[in-house]
Amino acid sequence: MGPLIVNEIISPNTNFLIAFFIGIAFGFILEQNGFSSSRRLAGMFYGYDTTVLKVFFTAAITGGLALLFMSLFGWIDLSYIYINPTFLWSAIGGGVIMGAGFIMGGYCPGTSFCAAAIGKIDALAFIGGIFIGIFAFAEGYPLWESFYKAEFMGSPLLSDWLGLSRGVLMLLIILVALAMFWVGEWAEKKFARKDYTINQR
Amino acid sequence: MKARLILASVIVPLGLIIAAIPENTTKPYRLTADQLLDEVKEELQFVHPDQIADMLIQKDPTLQLIDVRSRAEFEKFSLPGAINVPIESLLDAEYTDYLNQDVKMNVFYSNSSNKANQAWMITRQLGYRNNYVLQGGLNYWVETIMNPEMPAQTSPNEEFAKYDFRKGAGAALGGGAIVPATSTQEAPAALPPVTKTKKKKRVQGGC
Repeated sequence: MGPLIVNEIISPNTNFLIAFFIGIAFGFILEQNGFSSSRRLAGMFYGYDTTVLKVFFTAAITGGLALLFMSLFGWIDLSYIYINPTFLWSAIGGGVIMGAGFIMGGYCPGTSFCAAAIGKIDALAFIGGIFIGIFAFAEGYPLWESFYKAEFMGSPLLSDWLGLSRGVLMLLIILVALAMFWVGEWAEKKFARKDYTINQR
Repeated sequence: MKARLILASVIVPLGLIIAAIPENTTKPYRLTADQLLDEVKEELQFVHPDQIADMLIQKDPTLQLIDVRSRAEFEKFSLPGAINVPIESLLDAEYTDYLNQDVKMNVFYSNSSNKANQAWMITRQLGYRNNYVLQGGLNYWVETIMNPEMPAQTSPNEEFAKYDFRKGAGAALGGGAIVPATSTQEAPAALPPVTKTKKKKRVQGGC
């Protein structure tokens, strides 16, 4: 039955409409989790607030489990799920740039829009930086094209690489995530800051 | 702390279940039984032997005939340029590239149209496109192209044109000799084998 678009159950236009509502829900949930606070986001790197890790890993686990169960019930054909192709060096380079920007700016691209929506000036500055970066990347594309396209690996899957079935890998990810949540909560107590009180219970 | 325990006690058993169960590797069918029945009723999958004969004579590179009979039958007789994909091995990996493609027009044939229709239904359900069936199979092919029946003298001219085309096509594709069907009052006797009965084309809009 699924994916809905590939099997022409819904039209691309309906898809945009659904995406619109999912986008609103995504932004709402980010905001409700306090992701529009740059202190909370930066807390991930200093250890005094690991909500980012917990929220995103919970989302990943929920999504992964749901996809595997839907595939089990025959509701979705996993071979039609789009998997971003891997260009190893640009993935590493992009990760470093993104991580550095995350620590310095206190936002990631999505949460900066979230914070701008509730009127934070620093988020507007961050968004300005995003557009400057996009412009510089696009205009200077010939300079880093070879780096950008280096080490193309297709769409490798962790489960294939480890020789595990998708289900076993999912269980491993769940266990690793729960362990990380536990370590994270320990770190929140260990690195707690007196001047930071959101979500400190 | 309680919420964390509830979360863990839901997620971990679900993870155990999904880890213990083998992956679902079945391919879902694209069409429901009703949709497939509609398509079969419409008979859109059929290609008439006249069209195939025409494409063969024109050496149309987009035509790919696929013989779904057994190898022995294929070696005994087959249509020009056909490849042999016995229906038993239809799903073999080596044939996937022939069946699942967007370039050529695949036409399945067997002795009648039964086996070819089966092959078409399977490929249709797999979502492959550009697969068709030779109407009536080789039996009808022999009947129409190889040994066309002379129309009655009172038949309209189109029937004679069709007969001449079939006769010529049959000769070109290895059938009987050319015997012009046209009666004495019709001027040119033997039509060259490549003559095509021109289809009337509607004028397409000017703007």
